[in-house]
Amino acid sequence: MATRKRRFPALWLALAATAVAQTPDPQTPPAAPPSAETRLPFAGYMDFHFNKPRGQPGQLDFHRFVLLFGHSFSDRIKFWSELELEHALVEGREEKGELELEQAYVDFLVKPYLNFRGGMLLAPIGLINERHEPPSFNGVERPFVDTVILPSTWFDGGAGVFGDLGRGFLYKAYVMSSLDATGFDAAEGLRGGRQKGFESSFQNPALTGRLEYHGRPGLALGASFWRGLTGFNLPGINPRVRVVELDGRWRLGRLDFRGQFANVGISKAGELNVALQRDLGVSPNVAERLRGFYWESAARLLPRRCPHELVAFFRYENFDTQNKMPRGFQPLKQFDREAFVIGATYYPEPDVALKFDYTFLRNQSRVVRAVNSLNFGIGWWF
Amino acid sequence: MMVELFVAIALAAAPPPQTEKRQTVRISAERFSFIPSQVKVKAGTVVEFRVSSEDTNHGFRIPSAGIDRIIPKRGKGELQVIYRAERPGRYDFECSKPCGAGHTMMRGLIIVEE
Repeated sequence: MATRKRRFPALWLALAATAVAQTPDPQTPPAAPPSAETRLPFAGYMDFHFNKPRGQPGQLDFHRFVLLFGHSFSDRIKFWSELELEHALVEGREEKGELELEQAYVDFLVKPYLNFRGGMLLAPIGLINERHEPPSFNGVERPFVDTVILPSTWFDGGAGVFGDLGRGFLYKAYVMSSLDATGFDAAEGLRGGRQKGFESSFQNPALTGRLEYHGRPGLALGASFWRGLTGFNLPGINPRVRVVELDGRWRLGRLDFRGQFANVGISKAGELNVALQRDLGVSPNVAERLRGFYWESAARLLPRRCPHELVAFFRYENFDTQNKMPRGFQPLKQFDREAFVIGATYYPEPDVALKFDYTFLRNQSRVVRAVNSLNFGIGWWF
Repeated sequence: MMVELFVAIALAAAPPPQTEKRQTVRISAERFSFIPSQVKVKAGTVVEFRVSSEDTNHGFRIPSAGIDRIIPKRGKGELQVIYRAERPGRYDFECSKPCGAGHTMMRGLIIVEE
């Protein structure tokens, strides 16, 4: 062969040139680049925090250790799950941490615009509940509005449909287990009412849904709702909860903006307070309306050619878990709050986020002072 | 030698076996959507997908074509995939690398028209 190469050098040259000129086989994917990551059969994210409230000792908290597992039974039937350990230690009381099955469902993919899903689901509400991987948001802790107005992570058993309607519109609509009104309170609203799939009552299933628009690069808009009767543990009272939420994200060059508005209505809140006071000995002072909103501006500070990224951000939040009280109940001013969060996120690579923020928390009370806090965190995704 | 050189020049200068219509389609991927999520092309088109991510690695899988590649993370370049749209029809594409809580929602559609 070597001899033949020497004898026909021009022919070899020509064949080589022709090979370059030809279109490669389009259906044969070229080999993955050497930098491509190994695909593991699972994924996960972790969130490790240092929180220092003013005037109090600092705390280290391994806030979240989350593993996600999936499996494709076929191209049309897929399983997905998320198992979360919160605060590192589980000892039978929530103060010692929680082990939660936040997602475990099977998808039946039929058409892009109509697919079916059943199992343990995330309520499709808001910016954070379904998009809560630490590198995907600024700030060490999740926004207050996504904690005390919308109780993320909000999950329960259910089933529903989802799909892509075209022109950038996506939707989800689920029937899920409802909230338990006996867990509502003044400080954190609906949060204590989540059943979390633990032998959840399905006596009055709740309806929830979300419509998202992703039609233009850099822009994402969303609207979601939740409504359900929540009194299955209360004789004679069945408060209806209605949640409406609007959100948006916009990327403009090196700037990122996001905002969210959420409103929660609870019917028969007065009767609920009386009934719970009868049981607990003290009124939980549940409001008839909870309301909150926030907006956030962020700037990517390093030039595009830099392999790292540094994001500075500012977020303003306004949230009131006693925005409107039922007749005969007075709102407590310490629950009418606002937060100014200023900080930075450094990404040594896109899936690792080193976070810092300082949170100025204010409330309308002259008696109970809100506490500012200094926060550091490391969050990563793999 | 002259004959060899003639053959060489002729081969190098020869046009591709057939002329194909080419189209470049740019797709942006982020948790948990492809933008655009629906792509329309004419049958017979060779489509060059250029896919970039706004956050983490995603997968770009077209089951009907046996294509399954990794989209680099934000700022790490873009994925280029050549796809021959041969027959009219609707062909799914999806994220094939777990990317977060809403991973299974991350899907799209190639509509190949007559």
